[in-house]
Amino acid sequence: MLTRRFTTIVALAGLSLACADVSDKALGANVGNTPASPPLPEPATTVAENSLADEATLHVRLDELIALATPNFADLASPRSSDDEFVRRVYLDLAGTIPTSTQTREFLANQSPDKREQLIDQLLNSPQHARRLQYVFDEMLMERRVGTDVPDADWQTWLRESFRENKPWDQLVTEILSADGVDEKQRPAAKFFLDRKFDVDLVTRDIGRVFLGVDLECAQCHDHPSIDDYLQRHYYGLSAFLKRSYLFTDPKTKQKVLGEKAEGDVKFTSVFTSEEGQTDPRVLNLPGIPDPEPAKELYIAKPTSNVRGVPTYSRRVQLAKAMVAADNVDFRRNIVNRLWALMIGRGLVEPLDIRHSENPPSHPEVLELLADEFQKHNYDVRWMLRELALTETYQRSSKLSTDSKQSRNASAAFACGLLKPLSPEQFGWSSLVATGFSTVTMSAQEAALRKAEPETAATKIEDPLWREETLRKVLKPELDPVVARFAGQGGQKTSFEATADQALFVINGANVEKWLKPQEGALTDRLHKLDSPELLAEELYISILSRPPSRDESTAVTNYLKSVSDRATAIREMTWALLSSAEFRFNH
Amino acid sequence: MRREIGCNRIDHQLSRRGFVAGSAAGAVAIGGLLTPAQAEAVKSGQKRILQVFLQGGLSQFESWDPKPGTRYGGPFRAIPTSVPGIHICELMPHIAQRMHRLSIVRSLDLKTNDHRIGRLRIEKGRTAGDFPYVGAVASKYLAPENPPLPGYLHITTRGLEDNTNAFLGAQHAQLKLLGVNAPENLNRPANLDEESAQRRNAFRRLANERFAGRGGQPAFTEAFDSSFEMAKRLMKRKSLFEQEPSAKDIERYGSHPFGVRCILARELLNNGATCVKVTHHGYDTHAENFNFHLEQLDEFDRTFCMLLDDLHDSGMLESTLVLVYSEFGRTPKLNQRYGRDHWGASVSVALGGCGIVPGAVVGSTNAEGTEVAEREVSGGDLFHTYFRALGLDTSTNHDIPGRPVPIGDPSASPIEELLA
Repeated sequence: MLTRRFTTIVALAGLSLACADVSDKALGANVGNTPASPPLPEPATTVAENSLADEATLHVRLDELIALATPNFADLASPRSSDDEFVRRVYLDLAGTIPTSTQTREFLANQSPDKREQLIDQLLNSPQHARRLQYVFDEMLMERRVGTDVPDADWQTWLRESFRENKPWDQLVTEILSADGVDEKQRPAAKFFLDRKFDVDLVTRDIGRVFLGVDLECAQCHDHPSIDDYLQRHYYGLSAFLKRSYLFTDPKTKQKVLGEKAEGDVKFTSVFTSEEGQTDPRVLNLPGIPDPEPAKELYIAKPTSNVRGVPTYSRRVQLAKAMVAADNVDFRRNIVNRLWALMIGRGLVEPLDIRHSENPPSHPEVLELLADEFQKHNYDVRWMLRELALTETYQRSSKLSTDSKQSRNASAAFACGLLKPLSPEQFGWSSLVATGFSTVTMSAQEAALRKAEPETAATKIEDPLWREETLRKVLKPELDPVVARFAGQGGQKTSFEATADQALFVINGANVEKWLKPQEGALTDRLHKLDSPELLAEELYISILSRPPSRDESTAVTNYLKSVSDRATAIREMTWALLSSAEFRFNH
Repeated sequence: MRREIGCNRIDHQLSRRGFVAGSAAGAVAIGGLLTPAQAEAVKSGQKRILQVFLQGGLSQFESWDPKPGTRYGGPFRAIPTSVPGIHICELMPHIAQRMHRLSIVRSLDLKTNDHRIGRLRIEKGRTAGDFPYVGAVASKYLAPENPPLPGYLHITTRGLEDNTNAFLGAQHAQLKLLGVNAPENLNRPANLDEESAQRRNAFRRLANERFAGRGGQPAFTEAFDSSFEMAKRLMKRKSLFEQEPSAKDIERYGSHPFGVRCILARELLNNGATCVKVTHHGYDTHAENFNFHLEQLDEFDRTFCMLLDDLHDSGMLESTLVLVYSEFGRTPKLNQRYGRDHWGASVSVALGGCGIVPGAVVGSTNAEGTEVAEREVSGGDLFHTYFRALGLDTSTNHDIPGRPVPIGDPSASPIEELLA
């Protein structure tokens, strides 16, 4: 091997960075063991409480299992996050943006003992939450593909509305996997198939990765050479559901839809061994689903060049059923692993789409518990996110010992808060909120509405949904360039990559320049109106970093103001500096 | 001057095979002409790739695999080259004089007539799937730590959006330079002077140091810092993109877009780029195949040779793998518009430089050029060959966590006879 470099590639939240002193194996051994009677000094996980574990709510049991998995957990564990750490983190995770300075101040001033739970519930029920999940699931399901057969706006709206009504995950997936694009109402759900051009190999692979957490790509041509679990029949079992379906252009509407034939079996040959195989449709190791005795009429609509084929018995329809069926544990494991990764910062299985016996979950009991409970609670995504947000695991501080071995171990054990890179959408919205550009825009929209509809304006302006939808629509031209620059292709992942052109966008880009302009109500304008350097420093830090400045930082701001003759210039520079800082770039 | 860097094995091969005629001459007495950047590039021992992509599909008949006087051969002659026994099409007279620096593969079968699939097969060395492009792999494994320029630069008129880095990390994705334009946002905003820029950056760094001081996942914050460092380096090297080529360069390379792009490619390679891809557009000759090739190759032949000469004269060719390729070739049979259509079944590519036996021909097509006759080669075989020539073991797995992905397609293998 030539030069192998590890310095700039980042993955698994620093866990398996091939560090000289801690190998993956060593970490795995440490994490995977669950000793029978571990000496656990932490009061939260005494034996007495463990016996009650079944009765306890999910978040309590999760914390217990996480603590039990690592013998010296208490030594590694970070304390609970401070209120300012928590408020920024939970806004980003559940509402997709940092809080405004007002929202941060409100939370910090709130004296209620259960204010964290209150805030979690408030955010989960906000329109911002549905928008956040729209972005998350768009990336997860479509992996930043550019498709054209289903308009992006329709798909995004469908996703957002699904999450606003908290559609259960099994139902959402059923709708996606049963959509043929014919019914206008369900057409957005067909984007998963149609915007992959219904390329059977691509769709098969992506169903494996996105819905089951396994990547069967190599198993297309032969049993996977290095992963014993991935067999060619797994691949062809999935593709057998799809192989009879095809892309059909409706002669009237010219729209692409899915048709299906009534016959056709899947055979495969290994390129290595030349062995032939055959399989019924099946989901991984579950039993095959043989076709029923053929009906008298094979077709409801016989396929011709002008007629979309509709068979009496559809294999494709079986896919959705088999996917969400109770015996398909992999379906549940995949999604809970992804939701865990979304909130906590690293999957129990990493990479998220490569679960197999050689790459097992770091905390298998946690994964199984999550999967079981998710099913018991009817695949309720909002409930699951709430439970995750309530765990101590989620709420631990990300401030760590500077001893790198100690902090790596803490990270591996989920004993501290992990850094999560802001998604392109989180980064864009947070920048707009931090600089006050969103406030300026909202005020302008309110004023315009008062003029246009003087009678109804007041009610609308109070409506959170109207506010959210209006702001997102108007600010789309500001968000789009950020997403274009910061979104790599590909689906949900927890690794972090940064490119020069992203940095150049922040350093020299016209958008950022615009957000920093001191127009009425923008951060730079608000700061300019604060005479006291201390108050200015406080507003600057709370607005961008969602925390008050330390004494040193406040002094540094005072000195900066003194050293630059033009006050407006100094303010713009400091605002830019914090906006382009690492602390802003990550959720921590 | 004896060159001691790069792939020394080439020198041995050269003397053993006795390619004395042209090759020795170029290597003499150029030491004094090296720019400091070139000298540094040669000294560093870094290996590089120059890719010249002839977009649209170069006709193998009108270039590397002429069949004069046969049914599909077309009107052009085949001419002898500096390597006895090797003939190429008369549309490439400059290359013919430098044939001893290149080798030809005439038996590539890409098994597709689709632009996109052909391009992906030859760039990724895989028949399907999400794999990194040659340039991204080069950026990952050949670039030094803290490279002075992004590892994979592509000079092109347009560029299809592609996931060039696949699972290798965004810093290894191609950075596209449209024409010879600089990357976007390279210029400071008008109201920001140097002093201001430095001051605000110092404040940013102070904030970052404090944040790094709280511990945890330094790899994330370091990657973030390094993207700003890379941006800074690009801004510093803005002149690379802005400077007007010298009159002498223009005279040699030509003033047309491809000429200017190749000058930029040379500058980027001289200044620490790891993989530079230059696209020459317009080979999709469904009509008037012969006229188009006459014009296109006139531009390509001379300009490419100037670049090849400069790489050779500076000593960089020994550490630079040079690839000339298309997404496929063109049909033997002419269509009604005197065009040749898409043809993936018998394609030619040329390669040379680092680690490649020069002056060789691998494989052949049958007498009329309608199919591969000997030594069929796949995109995967080429991919192995490129990186083996550069010293990378393509049978090992990629350096990524949790997923054992071999660098080269395990069902393909390098063309051993081309490896120096």
